[in-house]
Amino acid sequence: MEAIIEFFKSMGFMNMEWQQGLMILLSFFLLWLAIKKQYEPLLLLPIAFGMLLTNLPHAGMFHNELWVAFLDETNAAYHSYGTIMKEGGLLDILYIGVKAGIYPCLIFMGVGAMTDFGPLIANPKSLLLGAAAQLGIFITFLCANWMGFSPAEAGSIGIIGGADGPTSIFLTSKLAPHLLGPIAIAAYSYMALVPVIQPPIMRALTTKKERAIKMKQLRPVSKTEKIIFPIAITAIVSLILPDAAPLIGCLMLGNLAKECGVVDRLSKTMQNELMNIVVIFLGLTVGATATADTFLNIKTLMILCMGIVAFGMGTAGGVLLAKLMNVFSKEKINPLIGSAGVSAVPMAARVSQTVGQEENPGNFLLMHAMGPNVAGVIGSAVAAGILLTMLG
Amino acid sequence: MTLLTVNGFTWLVTGVGFGMVIVLLIVLIFILKGLGAVVSRLAAPKAPKAAKPAVQAAQPAAAPAAVKESSDEMPVAAIAMALHLYFNGAHDEEPTQITIKNVERRYSPWNSKLYGMNNLHR
Repeated sequence: MEAIIEFFKSMGFMNMEWQQGLMILLSFFLLWLAIKKQYEPLLLLPIAFGMLLTNLPHAGMFHNELWVAFLDETNAAYHSYGTIMKEGGLLDILYIGVKAGIYPCLIFMGVGAMTDFGPLIANPKSLLLGAAAQLGIFITFLCANWMGFSPAEAGSIGIIGGADGPTSIFLTSKLAPHLLGPIAIAAYSYMALVPVIQPPIMRALTTKKERAIKMKQLRPVSKTEKIIFPIAITAIVSLILPDAAPLIGCLMLGNLAKECGVVDRLSKTMQNELMNIVVIFLGLTVGATATADTFLNIKTLMILCMGIVAFGMGTAGGVLLAKLMNVFSKEKINPLIGSAGVSAVPMAARVSQTVGQEENPGNFLLMHAMGPNVAGVIGSAVAAGILLTMLG
Repeated sequence: MTLLTVNGFTWLVTGVGFGMVIVLLIVLIFILKGLGAVVSRLAAPKAPKAAKPAVQAAQPAAAPAAVKESSDEMPVAAIAMALHLYFNGAHDEEPTQITIKNVERRYSPWNSKLYGMNNLHR
């Protein structure tokens, strides 16, 4: 009889606090969004499942207290991966990859191997739009600091405006690791909501005539240019901004493997197997950081609000700069492609195409929007490097 | 409470940070433009040599002009050539079989035991 009582006492149901129950319900909601609504399911599904696993009482898969000790300089376990390996659960061990900044870089390698930088090379002015869309990062940084977050925390919140999940995780794991859960979830949730967030801002800032502008066809880009591009970008950006080297280096390595054509096997591995494995690990462990005690507080709510401001400002920055460029340039640019300057590849470019076709069904903006879109990936990695240098 | 209450360091990071993003990407614009110019200059002399024999065989008089055609005119030329071949009965015979065989190989020597064992017996 005593054994039966002990068994019942050890059940998760008997040990669950209301906060954990709420987090489990939230994970169910995110799973529903991923499966039913298909909002970024590749990431949202593992994140939601990680959230479910970490909030199960007594499951022991993730120990937040170990990571608090890991960051505490006065604790014997300070920066001790050995302690994590010895006392941690499965998700603690997988989380080492996030903590050491390995997963975001590996994901960038896969992104590079899947990205065609041709539209950007054909129209280098797209880089300006990619830069302008980073406005959201810095305005949000300013606002977050004003709202009481420390500069390091504010920088991590601001990077949500880059609309680049791996960059957000990379920077937050370095600057404000205690905010990783809410920031990663905000970044990926808003990336999935790009088709909902961006169009009203784009329409509000442009006229019908501007949205109907047809752009000249891009010039063809030679293979030599595509091969030199990743090598040159890596060397120049890393020499100017060494802190951006891990992200830019991995992005460009992946792209070089794709474009050079002599390491087809490596390129395919980066695009498929490596990318998929890392996405599973990253999603699960980021979800696991969303424990009830770190997630259910006013700061999380503020981060979610600031994230949407960051996205909106980034979109507006790109559109407004495109309009400004039209004042000075002979060849008109459709301002809708400016909104693609926030990364979110390729969804932001697709949104530009869709909104453009509402005004003029014969207008094809997709390839033009891919230029600012991939420029945004470079821009957000550069912005992350700058914030890391100045705040790290 | 206004944004002016934010300390000077935050303003500095905002201004310098965003400025650096813009400046760095402007530098990259010049580099990409330079790269494009250099590559197109290096590639330019090679194009006429490669195109000359084939074009001369078909239409000797139009050869130099054909080389300078823009990429937009290429599809028109290809369609015109296809129509010419079709109406002159020079179109090649095509098989009537329309079944598409799936030749995708799902196994590789790294993950297929069967594939590896067969190789061992050779």
